[in-house]
Amino acid sequence: MIRHAIAEGLVVLRERAAVSVILALVLGVPISLAGVGLTLHQWLGPVAGLSGQKSSVAVLLHPQMEGSERRRWIAELASDHPDWVVSEVSSSDLAERLQRWFPYLKDLMDSGDATLPPLLEILTDNPESVTELEDRAEVLAIGPRSSIQQTLGQVARRLALIVGVVSFVLLAGAVLLAAVWVHLELYRHADEVTIMRLVGATEGTIRGPFLVAVAIPGVVAGILSVVGSLATVSGLSKLSSALGLSAMSIPPSILVLQLATSVFLPLLAAVITLARHAADATEN
Amino acid sequence: MIRLRSVSKEYERRTILDALDLQVDAGEFVFLTGPSGAGKTTLLRMLYAAEHPTEGEVWVAGRRIDEMVRAQLPLLRRKIGVIFQDFKLLRRKTVLENITFVLRIHGIAPREAHRRAMKVLRRLGLQHRQAAFPDALSGGEQQRVAIARALAYQPRLILADEPTGNLDADLASELLSLLCDINYQGATVLVATHDHAILESIPARTLVLHQGQIHYDGMWPP
Repeated sequence: MIRHAIAEGLVVLRERAAVSVILALVLGVPISLAGVGLTLHQWLGPVAGLSGQKSSVAVLLHPQMEGSERRRWIAELASDHPDWVVSEVSSSDLAERLQRWFPYLKDLMDSGDATLPPLLEILTDNPESVTELEDRAEVLAIGPRSSIQQTLGQVARRLALIVGVVSFVLLAGAVLLAAVWVHLELYRHADEVTIMRLVGATEGTIRGPFLVAVAIPGVVAGILSVVGSLATVSGLSKLSSALGLSAMSIPPSILVLQLATSVFLPLLAAVITLARHAADATEN
Repeated sequence: MIRLRSVSKEYERRTILDALDLQVDAGEFVFLTGPSGAGKTTLLRMLYAAEHPTEGEVWVAGRRIDEMVRAQLPLLRRKIGVIFQDFKLLRRKTVLENITFVLRIHGIAPREAHRRAMKVLRRLGLQHRQAAFPDALSGGEQQRVAIARALAYQPRLILADEPTGNLDADLASELLSLLCDINYQGATVLVATHDHAILESIPARTLVLHQGQIHYDGMWPP
């Protein structure tokens, strides 16, 4: 009966070649997009410090704080926040760091009239948490709390979310298309299905051709999605290399996942539709 | 082989079969007759589980089929050869494929299925039409293909719904002798017909169905 399923499935495909091509495309494109999205997410992870990497936040202290008082305050700060790595910027680096973190102090520093205020750098997983120091009398100002890594990380997360949502919506549409296609084909072959049931064919024999007819566009979609992902990532990799960033490549696990999803999703849609049809079937 | 106990069937408050009791033993040849709308086709459909009774029990080949779940039906139907009134041939398959397909779903190997199909086609004088599609056949030829398909796997029970409806007198007679041959080989045969000429051609048990009840059960003519 496997031969029968394949032969009849190919007949269904031949009769509905245009729909088969559309199904392969609407499955292949979002799966390819999802594959690229996952690859980007994995690639941006270490680059953007999505996890594990700490961000540095500058804290400008009151210039009139005495050295002993400052050291005691820093020690208290470190003990109150064990997750922070607090360090005082040395006087040799002070001017350069002040310009980096607080560019609006440039005029003051250029005039050379004022004593440069002491500067702390706090290394933390959560730069926003440093905001709590704003109300402290010892603190004059707090530098930007969103590091470039953090910004890149947020961009990466948003990008992954957008790609994920778009892929999901497109995939849901593709699965719906597969289900509707099987549904329409079942109605087109309703007489044959009824006859097959009446002469003793099992549901497996009846469903086989429809599953084959859906699985083949799924395989084509899988190949399309893999080729599409490889081409897109290759292009992005060239771009990242030109920008001096590390090269990008698709992990084999993502390619396997793409192939499996391309075949599994339309098959799942077909199985559900066929089961519903069998439950509603009458034999007239 | 067939046993019906108080079987009733209603469609939209209209009684088709009314508390019917019937027993057909293995190896019997039985005619089922009656006017149009008497319930002949409904009764046959119940015997291959295409209909379920509103009330009562339907037993075929020792199994109560009105309580069977869908997954059990294919095995039951493989024991029954049904000759449908409207032929029910697969339009996209050739004459030969219509027969080999049924043999294949019975688990018969392709070569053996081909051999058996050709044998039954020769028997029904259809070997020269083996490559034709049903739509290219006359009504009589389609009827013979439907018969060939039902006979090909040598079922224990043959249900025929107006099998001679599209055949001329010679072919109808030939078909009946074929059904008799199969019956002599041990199969139970139940033929629904309203053609009195057929009833008179073979001395056999005859059931007359009228308004959903069996009005006569015995040899024909009474």
